[in-house]
Amino acid sequence: MPEQRVLICQQCQKALEPRKTDFTYLGHSFFTDILTCPGCGQVFIPEELAKGRISEVEKQLEDK
Amino acid sequence: MEKDLRGETFSVCPICLKCVPAERIRVGGAVFLRKRCESHGPVQSVIWRGHADFDAWIGGAEAAPNEKLHCTDCSGLCPDHLQKTCCVLLEVTKRCNLACRFCFADHARQEEPPFAQVQSWLRELADPGKTLVQLSGGEPTLRDDLPDIIAAAKEAGCRHVQLNTNGIRLSADRTYLRALSDAGLSFVFMQFDGTTDAIYESLRGKPLLGVKRQAIENCAAENLGVTLVPTLVPDVNMRNIGEILCFGISEAPAVRGVHFQPVSYFGRFPAMPADDMRVTLDELLFEIEQQTAGQIRAVNLLPSRCDHPLCGFHGDFMVARDGVLVPLSQRGKTGAGCCSGPTTAEQSRAFVARRWQRPPRSAGSAPCGDFGDMETFLRRIQSHGFTVTAMAFQDAGNLDVERLRRCSLHVFDNGRFVPFCAHYLSGWRA
Repeated sequence: MPEQRVLICQQCQKALEPRKTDFTYLGHSFFTDILTCPGCGQVFIPEELAKGRISEVEKQLEDK
Repeated sequence: MEKDLRGETFSVCPICLKCVPAERIRVGGAVFLRKRCESHGPVQSVIWRGHADFDAWIGGAEAAPNEKLHCTDCSGLCPDHLQKTCCVLLEVTKRCNLACRFCFADHARQEEPPFAQVQSWLRELADPGKTLVQLSGGEPTLRDDLPDIIAAAKEAGCRHVQLNTNGIRLSADRTYLRALSDAGLSFVFMQFDGTTDAIYESLRGKPLLGVKRQAIENCAAENLGVTLVPTLVPDVNMRNIGEILCFGISEAPAVRGVHFQPVSYFGRFPAMPADDMRVTLDELLFEIEQQTAGQIRAVNLLPSRCDHPLCGFHGDFMVARDGVLVPLSQRGKTGAGCCSGPTTAEQSRAFVARRWQRPPRSAGSAPCGDFGDMETFLRRIQSHGFTVTAMAFQDAGNLDVERLRRCSLHVFDNGRFVPFCAHYLSGWRA
């Protein structure tokens, strides 16, 4: 089992929860679950997501 | 008649092929390439009909400092050539099983290099891990050892191996097709001029629609992506553009896109064509939008930035449910990492390979759900990406050295990389 880390919002001191979050890039909108602070709404985007799936979406949408 | 000072370039005399000064002349929204040979007099060819704004299309394609250099002597890439190789075309045979009205290749010869020679060329041309090689001819599938050639290309380090074919053998010989696939063939570029047999009878001398359908079906069974390649000829298939696109979309994901090639007058064509025998890029953009009732809009088709903007365009789409196309590219929205300047050959090669090659079967079938969901979108674009592209080859009538110097499609000819349109350039009788 992978370790389940609990991330705490530094500002609100509340545990982040996965929530459906919208992205917009080059006029296209997408959603996926992202860890979000239930208090202030700040999101945490882990490096593997930024360099992985989000980067892949960008690559697919950018002109050659 | 208005002379465009930015439009000064060089071309060739269509009779003697001597390099001559040329200029782009505007008449209303239309643009003509005009030139004069001291021995054979003046000629001009239409290059833009005025369906779209010429300057907006050309964008930032400014002339380079040494633009006016002789680049048409077919002696390979000169030091001032402005683009690296995106795709390398290698002729593996001169033989063909058709006798088409229009063909850039010279079928008068029946030569075929031995396998060892082809293997040696492949080793010479390959940049390991990068090269996209197009095996062409003649008709390459007339060679029984084509699977060995594909394997040799992969062994030499070619990343992608594309087959340019009329599809006749692929439709009839599943064992052969399986061998091509097993050897490492990446994708197929298949001549596909229209959706009626009359079109094939006019251009290729035979009714071939059934053959094309069967070839697509057979390629689908091997998980080989097929890009349809229509040669567009006025009075033959210009009214079939919308039908071709509809057919291609209906055959997705086996069909990965449509690559239009407006007719160019190489080789066997006897005389300089009149302007109404030509198809300009803006005319094609207009017809695509008209004939698809706006499903594909001209604004979703972007001028080439790997080659010169007058050499082609590309549009990136995804096929949704019921054959609805979702446009991914739009002029003015090209990505944070990009600008209006040229793209590299590497970027262009990665794009076409990403779209034209089918994902492995192990990736499973892609859902057709809510494309707002990032995972659904990513799986669908990989399986059901669809490109609408065009490449306008130049002949002795409309050749523009400024365009030639930005060419990224190079023919490998005995150790030399030669811009495609320079390699196949041929003159006409006076």
